Amino acid sequence: MPNEFDQEIKILVAEVAEVSVDKLDDPNVSFSDLDVDSMKALEIAAAVEKKYKIIIPEGEIPKIKNLAQVIDMVKRLKG
Amino acid sequence: MWDIEKIKTILPQREPFLFVDEVVEIDPGKRVVAKRYISPEEYFFKGHFPDKPIMPGVLIIEALAQTSILLYATIYPEIASAHPYYYLAKVKSEFILPVFPDDTLILEARNVKIISTGGIIEIEARVGERIAAKMTASFSVKKKNESQNES
Repeated sequence: MPNEFDQEIKILVAEVAEVSVDKLDDPNVSFSDLDVDSMKALEIAAAVEKKYKIIIPEGEIPKIKNLAQVIDMVKRLKG
Repeated sequence: MWDIEKIKTILPQREPFLFVDEVVEIDPGKRVVAKRYISPEEYFFKGHFPDKPIMPGVLIIEALAQTSILLYATIYPEIASAHPYYYLAKVKSEFILPVFPDDTLILEARNVKIISTGGIIEIEARVGERIAAKMTASFSVKKKNESQNES
């Protein structure tokens, strides 16, 4: 079961990526399988930056390949 | 701040498709404010519309997109000076007031998230103090040799 924080990011990512939340039930499902391209990955980065008051360095953005990586990145950058 | 000659070193567009006259404020990396006088002689007024000239909304979007490129250039001047290709990827726009001949558009672009290969920007067009249109847009940037490799 994902915790509340993970669930919050999941809902945010689903909204920005324009996919239904249940498509992200498996956090390791590849974004490319959900038609999340590099521009949508940038939108996801901007959305989590704004919500969690973090800065995602440019070099981290190509690493956004699935929800699990987004969650890990936010936790790491929030410290 | 930036006159039309400086702007032409950054924007690839040319008349009659150049929709920025001057840049009047720059907060590097954060915000750019530009102006464009909408002359009664603009070519598009002849058909849009013959009896009631109104600036087409798609051209307001173009003016806002060009202003976004100028904001990008404040962050990545080296890339911008090499004249890459700019691709508008997504636009969410709202048109609030019509723009008429003799209006001066004030175009303000604010950085949401810009990286070397693209960005997300919030932009609005005002006439005086009134907001005529606003949009959130995303765009990508490809160096010319990268685009050639794709074709």
